[in-house]
Amino acid sequence: MKNKVLELDRVTMQFGGLKAVNELSFSVDEGEIVGLIGPNGAGKTTVFNCVTQFYDDYQGNIFFTNHQNERIDLRSKKVTEVIDEGIVRTFQNVELIPDLSILDNVMIGAHNQFKTNIFAHILRTKKAKQEETMIREKAMEVLEFMNILDIKDQFAHGQPYGILKKIEIARTLMANPKLIILDEPAAGLNDKETDELAEIINNIRENYNASILLIEHDMGFVMEICDRVCAINFGQYLAMGSPKEIQSHPDVQEAYLGKDE
Amino acid sequence: MDNLFRIIFNSLQTGSVYALAALGIVLIFRTSKTTNFAQGSIGTLNAYVAAILLSSWGWNIWLVAIISMITAFITGILIDTFIIRPAAKVSPISKQIITLGLIMVIVGIIPIIFGVDPLRLPRFIGSGAISVFGASLTYNTIFVVLLSLGLMGLIFWFIQFTKWGLAIRVTASNETTSKLMGVPTKTVTMMSWATAAMLGTLAALIVAPQASVNPNMLIDVQVSAFFAGVLGGFQTFLGPVLGAYIIAFSRNAAIFYISDIWGTVIVYMSILVFLYFKPFGLFGKKPVKKV
Amino acid sequence: MMEKLRGILLGFTRSLKRHPHIQFMVFGALLSIVAFLPHIGIMNFSTMSIIAYIVIYTVVALGMNILLGFSGLISLGTAGFIGAGALGIGVFLGLGLPFELAALLTVIIAGGIGALIGLFSLKVDGIYLAIATLFVGEILRQIYTQVAIFGGEGINIGGVKFLGLIELNQIRQWNRSYLFIILVIVMVIMMMVMHNIIKSRTGRALMAMSRSDSAAQAMGVSILKYRLTAFILATVFATIGGILYGIYFQQAPTRAWTLNISLIIIAMVVVGGFKSIYGTFLGAFVIHGIPNLWLKELFDDVSYIFSGILIIVVILFYPNGFVYVWVDIKKAYYKYKLKYAQKKKVTADEE
Repeated sequence: MKNKVLELDRVTMQFGGLKAVNELSFSVDEGEIVGLIGPNGAGKTTVFNCVTQFYDDYQGNIFFTNHQNERIDLRSKKVTEVIDEGIVRTFQNVELIPDLSILDNVMIGAHNQFKTNIFAHILRTKKAKQEETMIREKAMEVLEFMNILDIKDQFAHGQPYGILKKIEIARTLMANPKLIILDEPAAGLNDKETDELAEIINNIRENYNASILLIEHDMGFVMEICDRVCAINFGQYLAMGSPKEIQSHPDVQEAYLGKDE
Repeated sequence: MDNLFRIIFNSLQTGSVYALAALGIVLIFRTSKTTNFAQGSIGTLNAYVAAILLSSWGWNIWLVAIISMITAFITGILIDTFIIRPAAKVSPISKQIITLGLIMVIVGIIPIIFGVDPLRLPRFIGSGAISVFGASLTYNTIFVVLLSLGLMGLIFWFIQFTKWGLAIRVTASNETTSKLMGVPTKTVTMMSWATAAMLGTLAALIVAPQASVNPNMLIDVQVSAFFAGVLGGFQTFLGPVLGAYIIAFSRNAAIFYISDIWGTVIVYMSILVFLYFKPFGLFGKKPVKKV
Repeated sequence: MMEKLRGILLGFTRSLKRHPHIQFMVFGALLSIVAFLPHIGIMNFSTMSIIAYIVIYTVVALGMNILLGFSGLISLGTAGFIGAGALGIGVFLGLGLPFELAALLTVIIAGGIGALIGLFSLKVDGIYLAIATLFVGEILRQIYTQVAIFGGEGINIGGVKFLGLIELNQIRQWNRSYLFIILVIVMVIMMMVMHNIIKSRTGRALMAMSRSDSAAQAMGVSILKYRLTAFILATVFATIGGILYGIYFQQAPTRAWTLNISLIIIAMVVVGGFKSIYGTFLGAFVIHGIPNLWLKELFDDVSYIFSGILIIVVILFYPNGFVYVWVDIKKAYYKYKLKYAQKKKVTADEE
């Protein structure tokens, strides 16, 4: 029986009178790639924001098995602590720093692995320099893995969209994540880039031993890459199963296509 | 008791001055998305116009006041057209610094056109007062307060109930959408600058009799106007006006009743504490962010 | 022979490029030459004072650059902290404390107020935060002008004893030069400090926080910690600038620390260059130096107007700061080089 790395237990998130997420329960097993699908406005990004504790006033529970193999209740963690436990994410509007180099952007991903404080930085102590070199090398490894090492010194500003998405993913790898949450990773990519993305995600699963939870609209992509798919609508659970099962599930079809009268 | 009323009357006048300036600031802030640090300088410039006409040609205060209102109107339009509009794409911070550049230009121009000596402007109503509860209330104060309230009331009515006022409110909430909807945002910002210039000038004309007309005459008013805006909240036009009267009264009261050294400091610190709990002022609301 | 010289120069500049700290020190060394010029009659002492002012402004503006350029935050109360530096030194020296202790105490107290602003900034944002910093500046100004310990109009500091050994008094001309050099040394140190900060994870975190706070938080950057850092740094830099003012001019006024000064500091960052250390010096030079050094002689009253126009024009055409004009110069140079090389090739082909 495979270990569950992420478990949502009747999670509900309300904004005023609107329930963006309604009693949603599903789980992600270790080493799985799980897709979260649903029509626009179904509450998918809200689910992500709850998992990462960006919203911490949800009802229900979210459990995560961290690096130390402890099953923790994520509510006990702040949004800035989630990455230490092993959860990283990308954003729908790619959130990079335009006026930093690609290399620097990726190095931020390792922010919490630095132990030196500002005084050590000001004085450029040996330890600070060592850390900086170490993280820099790791960033270059990650960039090479993503095939964008050659442009590491260029600014993130003005890069093509496909490259920006790669940089964001590279950034997440810096934290040796256990769970990577991708928010619409294939959005805006052409066919060739989407295929490349699928390959990269599979490589990540292999090389980094990470589990992946992603939101997507591109059905082809979802079917191709996900082990299981969870479908939601209006924040509520519809169905979960293999891509094939979900594709032919009547409730899912109705939510997406409308019922045939 | 008479002290209290003396403070009240004083605060009504000072508060009106602050309110005029604050309204000008929030008008430009919301429609032109600029923090106009030059508001005081613009008002000062046009007050100089009034003063020089009065001293050189002997015209009376009413006439020169009206003329300076007109020049203020023109000044506002010129500034918006030639400096602010071209800078539309610049970051908000840079726009603020442009207004600083404007201050420097104006402060530099004043001695060249008007000479270095401070000038005088008389009160609107030269003399006469009534006694209310033991405190003296000059006719000038009554007039000035009524004029200010009247002008601001007119502006509020205009904003709330006319088509142009709607254009202003719409531009204030979202300029891009307004443009797409065919709202003449260019005219709106021009009018806002013109109006703000007039408000600043009126404030200067009211302050002038006590302070004399000099390049720094509105510095305290300017700063207080910003404080009023923050206290009342920049989201509404009414907020800063109320904030202005509250600040004027609190300061005078604190200085008199608590301590003339620490009075102002206490009031300012209280506002900061208040702001901590209501980060958007009295009437402000928190905008929601979507991630 | 020319080739050899070129080679040496190229090697020198290349190693300079790799060691920005040495660059700062070379810059400082060159600037220090100013300290000697009045003694050989090339410059008068009032000009040296103007340049001293520029150095002081640079230190303050560096802190503002950290706040504005890197952390996306603004302070309108900077003048209050420069005043804190100058007046604080005045008060503590007047109480008989040794200079170094006085400076330390002043910086710590001012830094504490900066920390309060940082905490405040977690709940209050945008223009409200900006005006709140104005409140702080005004509160400080009220305190300076009203409270007796600051002497009403100001404090006369007189000579300052450094390390308990050497007293430098600005009455003596050579002392003024030494004080100038001290100012330059401190400026170079602050440049190095700022450089180290912005090239480290602190600098990256500050930028992450300001460009995208959701991503920053997701990566473990604590907004609380870094806002505090930003405001404390800006305050400390401003206070150190004030201390430099105190030790050079050896008197500390109470009424001078107004909103206008705070705006001028911001202007130096905006006009000189966001995130650029040399740009900050350039900004201070353009905004304080040019009007006072040259325009005053040429145009006297009109110098203020020219500064204002200069500011407006630079912002309209170089929104990121005048220091980036060198990017345009570089481009033009490369374009010229390309054209020249093409021309050469054409003539070579023709031969």
